[in-house]
Amino acid sequence: MATALIDGQQVDFESGETILEAAEKVQIKIPTLCHAEDLSIYGGCRICVVEIEGERLLKPACATKISEGMKIKTHSPKVREVRRNIFELIVASHDISCRLNCLTCSRNQSCELREIAADIGANQTRFDPIDKGYDDDRSSVSIVREPNKCITCGRCIRKCEEVQGVGIFTMANRGPATVLTTFGDKGMGNVECTNCGQCIHACPTGALHEVYHYDRVWDMLKDEDKFVVVQTAPAVRVALAELFESKPGTIVTGQMVAGLKRLGFDRVFDTNFAADLTIMEEGTELIGRIEDGGPFPMFTSCSPGWIKYIEHFYPEYLENLSSCKSPQQMFGAVAKSYYAQQHGIDKEDMVVVSVMPCTAKKFESGRGEMDQDVDFVLTTRELGRMVKEAGIDLVNLAEEDYDPMMGESTGAGSIFGSSGGVMEAALRTAYELITEEELEELDFEPVRGAEGIKEAEVEIKGMTVKTAVASGLSNVGQLLEKIKNGEEYHFVEMMACPGGCIGGGGQPIPTNQETVEERMKAIYEIDAGKKKRKSHQNKEVQQLYEDYLGAPNSHLAHELLHTNYIKREI
Amino acid sequence: MARANLLERLHTIQDTYGYIPENEINKLSDQFDLPRSKVYGTIKFYSMFYTEPTGKYMVRVCDSLSCHLNDSEGLVTAVKNYLGIADGETTEDKKFTLEVVECLGHCGEGPVMMVNDQIYTYLNENRAIQILKDCM
Repeated sequence: MATALIDGQQVDFESGETILEAAEKVQIKIPTLCHAEDLSIYGGCRICVVEIEGERLLKPACATKISEGMKIKTHSPKVREVRRNIFELIVASHDISCRLNCLTCSRNQSCELREIAADIGANQTRFDPIDKGYDDDRSSVSIVREPNKCITCGRCIRKCEEVQGVGIFTMANRGPATVLTTFGDKGMGNVECTNCGQCIHACPTGALHEVYHYDRVWDMLKDEDKFVVVQTAPAVRVALAELFESKPGTIVTGQMVAGLKRLGFDRVFDTNFAADLTIMEEGTELIGRIEDGGPFPMFTSCSPGWIKYIEHFYPEYLENLSSCKSPQQMFGAVAKSYYAQQHGIDKEDMVVVSVMPCTAKKFESGRGEMDQDVDFVLTTRELGRMVKEAGIDLVNLAEEDYDPMMGESTGAGSIFGSSGGVMEAALRTAYELITEEELEELDFEPVRGAEGIKEAEVEIKGMTVKTAVASGLSNVGQLLEKIKNGEEYHFVEMMACPGGCIGGGGQPIPTNQETVEERMKAIYEIDAGKKKRKSHQNKEVQQLYEDYLGAPNSHLAHELLHTNYIKREI
Repeated sequence: MARANLLERLHTIQDTYGYIPENEINKLSDQFDLPRSKVYGTIKFYSMFYTEPTGKYMVRVCDSLSCHLNDSEGLVTAVKNYLGIADGETTEDKKFTLEVVECLGHCGEGPVMMVNDQIYTYLNENRAIQILKDCM
């Protein structure tokens, strides 16, 4: 263990540590902008520069290794002045104008530039902002990019390439003309973007945000001729409260339901109900494949980011995908048929809104195969915005229950929001359906947790079922390569976002390892607190089969609840 | 393939086609195991790679300091008028692309113009036009 001095504090460090990491250990916060913990070191923005005794130039703390005997000043007058100058230059390249567009920016509550301004005591902006005059990229149905707000820190580039293994972004040109773009300047909607939205979490500014649907949802709520139903995804209830200053992992299921009713939705239903339904369909499909001997592995199909990824990068495995629609789409299809018929509502007058932790769900709802089952998709952030706009003190509302017929859910449906959850839910049901015995240990620990790739073997009636779970598309890619090289599994769960839907691109900012782990704990807490924890115990799902669908994988179920996929070019 | 070879491959493609077509970027992306956005970004970083077809003759007129003092401005205007295109454009017959550039490395012999790989020094407007006519 070697030692150095940072601001007069002695610090012990291991070889290879950076100054930034060492400073954190003695409670010194060095401001950073282009640096992010889950990404490679870039050293581009220079906000983190520090003074090292005996060195002529200031050095970036994020990219400089600390060494024995170093004497470092992190907040000397010289450092503070340089930092402010650098900050002024960065801000001049960002679209701040007298139109006060900070007020209307997607990141008005979570802008890192504002955080840094406070951290470094910025007290003037002497340079006029550069009017770069780029057009917004609105080619994608999920994500908008506003290049005029981009400070070219490159965090989205690294996130897309390193964490998601996709890499749609690049910098083009040089010097002041440097601009972030996609292949051939085609725009995010015309390249191999999976719409996962992780770039939004990487961005320190408002240069990336979802395509908003909330204004159109307001219009629908206002329209008295419309019967507007809403469904809420499993991962939303454990994250929404963060937008109202609550701790990550705070569960606000009942408060959220109450809030949605106050917003004026005619019915508030649960995507968890549809998750239980998905298990009935997908579990039956899996059992069928086990009986027929394949094709294996069977891949889950809930995550639309993963679906677009496989369509672009591994189309040779499309027949391995479960034909099941995602819970969001199953919900929409059932609401517009079963629920509408039972209540004499004209399908044309029904509007289905989803609240999702996800930006890719916006793309999914518009897929041609989906027949407009879901009309609008709000992210968790958009719902937070609407609740604020309506002046509802959400976290203090009295809890209310979901509406009947499509509101009941089991613990199995609840855990869909976490990586490994779909697998666990499917195994609980498949085990009992195959063996016709009661499963005693419901917790499948090996598929839980935040690791990127998890594997488990389960004995069912003398057969060893080999399963694997991956979240984060670069982990997904690694697992697919393993499968390509001959590794055999029966059932594989794939999720586009790290940690599963709780880490989705539509979740509150910040979404990072810490917040994802807290949300994950909350998801399993919900499951543990449920009396019924297996999808086939869901009474409302049973009723749906009895009254309408017949049996899982029936002809009508196939028509409504299953889909097909497209091979996409790169 | 080692990333270091990428630039050399780009040069070869540029020399063959006069630009770097999209399908070649896709091939490079496969061969180098890089996202195609990365290959595109590399191309865009260097001003002498093109993603659109250029003319048969690439005409580069220098307008940096010492050429400017020797009236490169007049030369640029004459060439523009003769070819009927602006800086960065290609003639309709795809013969000429014009670029006004910084320093071609002959500062003592200005004004200077380059046509493809050939450098022309101590130019005046008439000589420059004659050089272009000889290309026709």
